[in-house]
Amino acid sequence: MRGLEAILYREAKIRFTNFAWIVWDAFYPLGYLLVFGVGIDYALGSPLRDPNISYNDFFLGGVLAMASFGIAINTAWGFFLDRDNGIFFEMLTYPLSRAEYLGGKVCFNVLLAIVQATVTVGMSALILGVKVKPALLPWLLLGVILGTAGWFFFFAIFALRIRRNDVFNSVTSIFYFVFLFASSIFYPLDPLPRWFRSVALLNPITWQVDLLRYASIGLRTEHLVAESLAFAGFALVAFYFGVRTLNRASS
Amino acid sequence: MSATNRDHDPALAVDNLVKVYPGRRRQPPTRAVDGMSFEVHRGEIFGLLGPNGAGKTTILKILTTLLPPTSGRAEVLGHDVVSEPLAVRRAISIVLQETAIELFLSVRDNLVTFGKFHGLDHAAARRRAGEVMEKFYLTEYAGQKAQDLSGGLRRRVQVAKTFMVPTPVMFLDEFSTGMDPILKRTVMGYLRDEAARGRTIVLTTQVMTEAEELCDDILIMHKGRTIAQGDLNKLKLLAKDVYDVTLTFEQIPPGLAGELEALKPQRLQVDHGTVEMTLKAQEREVLETIASLAARARLLHVEVSGASLEDIFVELTKER
Repeated sequence: MRGLEAILYREAKIRFTNFAWIVWDAFYPLGYLLVFGVGIDYALGSPLRDPNISYNDFFLGGVLAMASFGIAINTAWGFFLDRDNGIFFEMLTYPLSRAEYLGGKVCFNVLLAIVQATVTVGMSALILGVKVKPALLPWLLLGVILGTAGWFFFFAIFALRIRRNDVFNSVTSIFYFVFLFASSIFYPLDPLPRWFRSVALLNPITWQVDLLRYASIGLRTEHLVAESLAFAGFALVAFYFGVRTLNRASS
Repeated sequence: MSATNRDHDPALAVDNLVKVYPGRRRQPPTRAVDGMSFEVHRGEIFGLLGPNGAGKTTILKILTTLLPPTSGRAEVLGHDVVSEPLAVRRAISIVLQETAIELFLSVRDNLVTFGKFHGLDHAAARRRAGEVMEKFYLTEYAGQKAQDLSGGLRRRVQVAKTFMVPTPVMFLDEFSTGMDPILKRTVMGYLRDEAARGRTIVLTTQVMTEAEELCDDILIMHKGRTIAQGDLNKLKLLAKDVYDVTLTFEQIPPGLAGELEALKPQRLQVDHGTVEMTLKAQEREVLETIASLAARARLLHVEVSGASLEDIFVELTKER
């Protein structure tokens, strides 16, 4: 436990040396919702046939998933910073397991993601009148935690394997484009061509978005349970490979 | 095994250790460590010496659980580095060859964070950080972020961290890089004190005088293999016919440099009136050489000493 506590302390210390970073992390999903969500809502209206669901309602789950994805990329990029500072290898000689090391990093980001989700959900309900279902909030919490952890482990695999910062940036840019747009973040999948739908249904971010959308406004997709289980599986597999990659990182 | 028996066990035991790095891009594999075996006793300062690429850092990486060996065994305080990595990490602290520091944190926070990782609670870590900063003359930089420090100061913080907690084993990979001579001397004193208190210290260095002054036991390695091991006196026996000679003439006789070259010295430097050379010859021959030179020109100063560790190192590694 001491190791985990030390990692949390370190992450918090580093993050709080840049207050702007903390503010940005806490408020940018809300900003996205207020600018992009409101713009689309006014210009195009609801993407669903149900007139009771506005684009802002629909987009809340997507924006939370996008935020998990963003935090994960930023934190995984931190491995490059640690390598440049030389501290990465020294930390691997500290008395903690590789799983604790990754777990500690993810715990800090989960805490940040929970703050971010609380701000986003609370303010979107207050300002935009998003119809959040309070009874489902525990599921929302689970979706946020699982999402932040799963994506962090996923990107950690690449950050630990790739030696060059610019190559990692290219990889994440491609992932950003593919994962975010070939998913249900911005639009419902039903009206899309079959091939597009098939691709999107294989995309783990769709699984996470569908869980978060259900947990925020109660909108249920046909395969919700399977998607949620698949996303939990994705996070576990990413964790396993993340630890394995970390074990090999100095070889 | 009983606790008493464990106290007599070596701090480090390395047995037939091999590390092969796979070749990259059609390059052949590199055998960085090639069947090395040695032991380090508790409370000893052990020097691992070798030319660049000898495999010293690879051994340190294996002993600190950063790298798995290809074959063989390595134990730290009886814990296997492969099967009990966490127990090994609890027993060690390390100064890596590269600067390793939290650039965005202050000097104090660097030390406190390190202490917390090694099990100190916050109050104890802060208290200890204060003591360590004083010891390393870092108190005036306590609140400065590491990114604003010079390279030498960053290195000082890095070394200071290993004094935060009394881990039984310390690894120092070229610890004095970037340190000024006064601080280096002070740190060497601290290291001797730590060893006297029972800490085992393993260091690698390219500065032979450092090893000469500090180490109780020295292992010289080359191309992944042990080529000599022992205390300084034992190593000096390996090069007993090597002498360092310094001669200062009132005026160097013409053609002397050429004549000295004919003696095939291991090292020769002629600077103004002074000749410095390392000769591999019997004591009598060295004295005869000096006498014949003294007959040629007026000598102001003569100094003859046995081989230094550097001479031994060069002698042992040059032809392999």
